[in-house]
Amino acid sequence: MARVPRARPVAPRLGATLVDAVKEDTLTTLDHATLIAACAGGDHQALRQLYDHEGARLLGVVQRIVGDRALAEDIIHDTFVRVWTRAHTFDATRGSGKTWLFSVARHLALNHIRGHQREISVDEQTAEALDAERTSAPAEALDHFAWHGRGELDRCLAALDADRRNCLFHAYVDGFSHQEIATRMDRPLGTVKAWIKRSLQSLRECLS
Amino acid sequence: MNDHSPENAHAAAADDIDTLAGEYVLGTLSAAERHAVERRAAGEPALREAIDAWESRLQPYTELAPPLTPSPGLWSRIERSLQPVPREHRSLWQRAWHSLPLWRGVGLATAAASLALGVLLLAAPESAAPRYLVVLTTPQHTQAGWVVQAASAHDIALVPLGTFELPQGKTLEFWTKADDWSGPVSLGLVRPGQTLHLSPEDLPPLQPNQLFELTLENAGGSPLGRPTGPIQFIGRAISL
Repeated sequence: MARVPRARPVAPRLGATLVDAVKEDTLTTLDHATLIAACAGGDHQALRQLYDHEGARLLGVVQRIVGDRALAEDIIHDTFVRVWTRAHTFDATRGSGKTWLFSVARHLALNHIRGHQREISVDEQTAEALDAERTSAPAEALDHFAWHGRGELDRCLAALDADRRNCLFHAYVDGFSHQEIATRMDRPLGTVKAWIKRSLQSLRECLS
Repeated sequence: MNDHSPENAHAAAADDIDTLAGEYVLGTLSAAERHAVERRAAGEPALREAIDAWESRLQPYTELAPPLTPSPGLWSRIERSLQPVPREHRSLWQRAWHSLPLWRGVGLATAAASLALGVLLLAAPESAAPRYLVVLTTPQHTQAGWVVQAASAHDIALVPLGTFELPQGKTLEFWTKADDWSGPVSLGLVRPGQTLHLSPEDLPPLQPNQLFELTLENAGGSPLGRPTGPIQFIGRAISL
């Protein structure tokens, strides 16, 4: 994979904080990695800047996964507390600061819903038996997500069938479990599981 | 990203790891599977790298969820939950950069120390041994108290930058610890305001970032061979 360059240190000047230096340096593009490094140094203002710039986007992402506003705000609270206490573990060689920030929030949200069994309680065997009784597969091949033009993965996503893309995004964006995706897509659970595995493999082959 | 081994088995194992990483990042794994992946990733660089790669690839698609403005009180709730960052989590430059008092307090002292060292270095014969400088400040970085100059582990000078009022019945003890040592080693007792020259015989070579500190101990020094009193001055070695 392409290595992300290390966070560029900003030279300190007497009478100015690191955050001031960041503000002056980057008026449009927020340097997440530098702000995270400042958090590791105990700078509340750096965390506040991350919150001001990404709080609404993070809340949108988390709300979509947990589906409950108060819970989503609790998770954003936990996200920023975690960013604060774990900022020293952020490693810019492993990915961008923005990626780290969003992954902290998403995994807190995912751990919560997976740990609290939001899943529809149909055991897998029953579900698969019901699936087997289905005679005709639904003819649904429209995209559920406006995924175009967002990332390097676009080209490879375009090579997948729409219903497989839908599975990936119902998982990634909605935080759906396999069973929830199967229900939403009206497809057998086993099919959904296999599609997701194979889609990930196709994406990876496409990228390499 | 992962090397494709000529052996199919290896390639298949790499594929499995990559797919597992992808499923973890997508979020389809169960709670138990998620925890297992997190535990494995801690000790398995290939899995961790595969997770990092999927996180980076998929992150732009978080935009598919529309933003939501947080409640007005959320930030203050977060701020109330913030604990001070533990000192050991801060790197030297972070602590230094974020401490304006340090810059004000230490600026002159380090300038003077640098000048002195510059002169020393110019005057000294060519030597392969690294030289180290440590500025010892109060733990809150409000005041620089001492400078340590070391040509080697057997040639250490502790130079006072000012005076220090010792409480009755107390003494200052000088300690050092490199990152991989199990505990600090005493370099002896220190008299405030006086330069201390040390040539310890059995000290391992100095290392960059090696910790030096002065603690307040009962007269006669710590009886336990490790610091027992509060740190008065502390700093880490910079290799010159």
